[in-house]
Amino acid sequence: MIDPQEFWLLAPEIFLAVAAMLLLVAGSIGRGVRNRPAAAVALMSLVVTALLVLWAQGEAGGPEAFLGGMFILDPYSIFVKLLLLIATGLTVAISGRFLEEGGYRPGEYYSLVLFATTGMLFMASGYSLLSIWIALELMALSSYILAGYFKREGKSVEAALKYFILGALSSGILLYGISLLYGATGTVQIGELAARLPDLVGQGEAGILIGLGWLLLAIGLFFKVAAAPFHVWTPDVYVGAPTPITAYLASASKVASFAILIRIFYEALPALDADWQLVTALVACLSMIWGNLAALTQTNVKRMLAYSSIGHAGYVLIGVLCATEDGLWAVLFYLLAYTFITLGAFGTVIILEQREYAGETYSDYAGLARRAPALAAAMLIFMVALTGIPPTGGFFGKIYLFAAAVEAGWIWVAVVGVLTSAISLFFYFGIVVQMYLKPSDDTTPKPIMAPGLVTAITVCAVITVLLGLFPGPVVELAKASLLPLP
Amino acid sequence: MFDWVHQVPILSIVCYVPLIGSLFVIFFMKEANAASIKKFATGVVTLDFMVSLPLWFEFDPQGELFQFRESFSWIESLGVRYEFGIDGIALLLVLLTTLLGPIAFLSSWSAIKERQKEYYVFMLMLQTGMMGVFMAMDFFLFYVFWEVMLLPMYFLIGVWGGPRKLYAAIKFFLYTLVGSVLMLLGILALYFYNSSGLFGYGGLGNPKTFSITQFHEIGAGLPPDLQFWIFLAFFVGFAIKVPMFPFHTWLPDAHVEAPTAGSVILAGVLLKMGTYGFVRFSLPILPQATWELLPWMVGLSIIGIVYGGLVAMAQKDMKKLVAYSSVSHLGFVMLGMFALNSAGLNGSILQMINHGLSTGALFLLVGVIYERRHTRLIADYGGISAKMPAFATIFLIITMASIGLPTLNGFVGEFTILVGAFDRVWWWAVWGAVGIVLGAAYMLWMYQRVFFGPITNPDNENLEDLNGRELLYLMPLVILCFWIGLYPKPFFKIIEKPVDYIVGIVDAAQPAGMALADEAESLHATDEEAGH
Repeated sequence: MIDPQEFWLLAPEIFLAVAAMLLLVAGSIGRGVRNRPAAAVALMSLVVTALLVLWAQGEAGGPEAFLGGMFILDPYSIFVKLLLLIATGLTVAISGRFLEEGGYRPGEYYSLVLFATTGMLFMASGYSLLSIWIALELMALSSYILAGYFKREGKSVEAALKYFILGALSSGILLYGISLLYGATGTVQIGELAARLPDLVGQGEAGILIGLGWLLLAIGLFFKVAAAPFHVWTPDVYVGAPTPITAYLASASKVASFAILIRIFYEALPALDADWQLVTALVACLSMIWGNLAALTQTNVKRMLAYSSIGHAGYVLIGVLCATEDGLWAVLFYLLAYTFITLGAFGTVIILEQREYAGETYSDYAGLARRAPALAAAMLIFMVALTGIPPTGGFFGKIYLFAAAVEAGWIWVAVVGVLTSAISLFFYFGIVVQMYLKPSDDTTPKPIMAPGLVTAITVCAVITVLLGLFPGPVVELAKASLLPLP
Repeated sequence: MFDWVHQVPILSIVCYVPLIGSLFVIFFMKEANAASIKKFATGVVTLDFMVSLPLWFEFDPQGELFQFRESFSWIESLGVRYEFGIDGIALLLVLLTTLLGPIAFLSSWSAIKERQKEYYVFMLMLQTGMMGVFMAMDFFLFYVFWEVMLLPMYFLIGVWGGPRKLYAAIKFFLYTLVGSVLMLLGILALYFYNSSGLFGYGGLGNPKTFSITQFHEIGAGLPPDLQFWIFLAFFVGFAIKVPMFPFHTWLPDAHVEAPTAGSVILAGVLLKMGTYGFVRFSLPILPQATWELLPWMVGLSIIGIVYGGLVAMAQKDMKKLVAYSSVSHLGFVMLGMFALNSAGLNGSILQMINHGLSTGALFLLVGVIYERRHTRLIADYGGISAKMPAFATIFLIITMASIGLPTLNGFVGEFTILVGAFDRVWWWAVWGAVGIVLGAAYMLWMYQRVFFGPITNPDNENLEDLNGRELLYLMPLVILCFWIGLYPKPFFKIIEKPVDYIVGIVDAAQPAGMALADEAESLHATDEEAGH
């Protein structure tokens, strides 16, 4: 029997959904709300949600599945949720300029962002394959609309359509995998799955079903985190979508997708570990190699960042496949660092964007160090961090991942990782070359510094450097947020 | 006399004075005020040199191996400590760095005309990075400095370099980065073997640490195949930096394109980080693998000596010539090191310093003349000794130092290396001697073409001799060349203990069947020769 009291534990998600609905309504009455107040309401509701997350954790008292085993509140989910809320907050902060210039309705936009975030929070807490899948759909559907938010731009609409079709396909694959697992075990609840699987793996028909179900599940999840060879949607979507949404997809959406990937691999299907480790290793290597090599040839910064995000998905998978404590907290640390770095980098891209898609090529960064030294310095920090050079959070993120891989014996994966990191220097420093070593074109307009953007970029840059000097506290936090290991 | 250095964290002070100076420049000085920026920056590094001098006097050659130690916890989850300390080898390299600092800065005053603020900021940061590398006693900390230092050097080459600067800058960065990330994997393997265990090898179960001294202790006990792989990983990182043949191709590009001061720092200090890495890590931590791979190491060193010399001979550009001579000289350093006896190692370490002094001076001299004529082609000169007598004299002294004329520093280093090499395998020394002959050939040939004969190019008629500032920064190098050439004893004394320590470890791991050299005798011979 479900205890109605347990609904209180979903207070953060419920609150955020209600806030999103109110914003939607307010935004569609008459001429709607203006950007500033709408952004303020969105930020406020994110803060309240964060507080509710903390409160709910205290209320739950322990990592027990609730509401019929559909959800769970463990330290892992809290970590992921807070990270998601921070990422969303930064996304809201960097969205303003695009809404004001494009004349879009802010209420509608922010409410979609909040809906997507609600879905992500549910994903972090989901403890049944079905509740996770539904939450994923909530996130995905909101994201499809957001990706097409440049309604007047063909590229944006194209991005939304591609994202929708391929996203729907992957959701279908995921659901099919879930149904096979359900057929074999008679449950979708993660705890029960984990308990029943060991007796069934490799046993006749049920074994085949489980194997197939796992494979489909893995494909669907790799698709969502944009790991090669399931990445083909990423570059077009990242380039076509409005840049704040690209940043959101590359940070929050990726964190949430990794959160469920880890939850499902570690908690639901540990019985299969030897198989999934090897497959994950191959996917990780392919992502690192393909993502970094393809990024080499790009001339558009957004597209380069899209390919680089495929590469970074590969790095995170290194930590995932280790299936050790060190690997897991390294992943959490990396996701946190990467969130700030990516949002900061995309924030800089937004500042330089002039009209719609202009200002996105490498050559638009020429002489930025002269035109806007502080902005160039911030971008330098992000590029250094993405390459993985100290003293930045990106350096420690990679070190921890590679260390975990070496310890767990996946040395060849670590070798691929370090070599592709070295390759990535080329395209990240392509931007640095433009900013610092190329003269500025006098006709280039001065970048427009919107206060929200400047604040967000400053926060991201400072945290990136702080993580590179004093990674300790975040590591402790990540270590306290581990899942039980397979 | 300088007791106070034991009361303060002297190494941190020496290391961070330039960094603090650079932060001050970033936040409080304006680009428009370039004149005061360069004075301030030069003042900072000069101050830093003064602060580092007491280390020379207070370092006790008979005392503990590592002195002036500082140790704080930094990243507890990994057991990384902020740990500084220097032995005799590191002391010499730190002093070389602080000495070359003011010299390189002074030489930039007239050479750097644009974006001066950024230039001095990067130069100051570079100083801190390099010293951190030599001072770090925690392998992780070492790695952080090792990588951090790449950034300012990248900008120095990329912004203020010659025509192909972008290519040279990214090549330098990429080569070094590839090397260092592989080295990182080696470090991690070592780290896990020491602590929680490396997959397939088990572990020693010691507390997690990157402490270099701890690695020295467990190193010899590593399983041979693990040692082999870690050695290779380190080798890539260090050999690229040295640079050893065939990893040297970044060096001529970087040297030729870098501004003068950049070349001075690059040749004087940066290359030493590679050789220092071998001495500090590869040899004492992985002695068995060292023996196993000895033929390869020596082979590459000898190829480097001869190849570098031959290519230098064919150069038309003075700076390129000096750059290739570095490949040859560093091959010498590596040959001495892999003689694996105290004479060879002593000579190798002294030659690191010598190379820093004389090649640094050569780059400065080439920079002096480049500033006047904006060409470095040997063919554009000829007979200029008549116009620039002081310049010609100093150039001659440094040339002699570089080719190893007795009474100058190069002789002491090269001779000691040859003694060590001869002691191990006699024909190694023969190849070394061939390198010396080649060195004399290309240096003297260049000198002759530039300075002697009639002045054929009318542009050279009005060359001005050295001015006071140029003399000021060249004189210390000349004096040191003579000092080491005439009385190298204090230098040998300072490195005696660490050399014995390393040779002791390496000897203990010597596989049966290798002829044991008579260490004491060869060292004795060296001292006698060097003392003359």
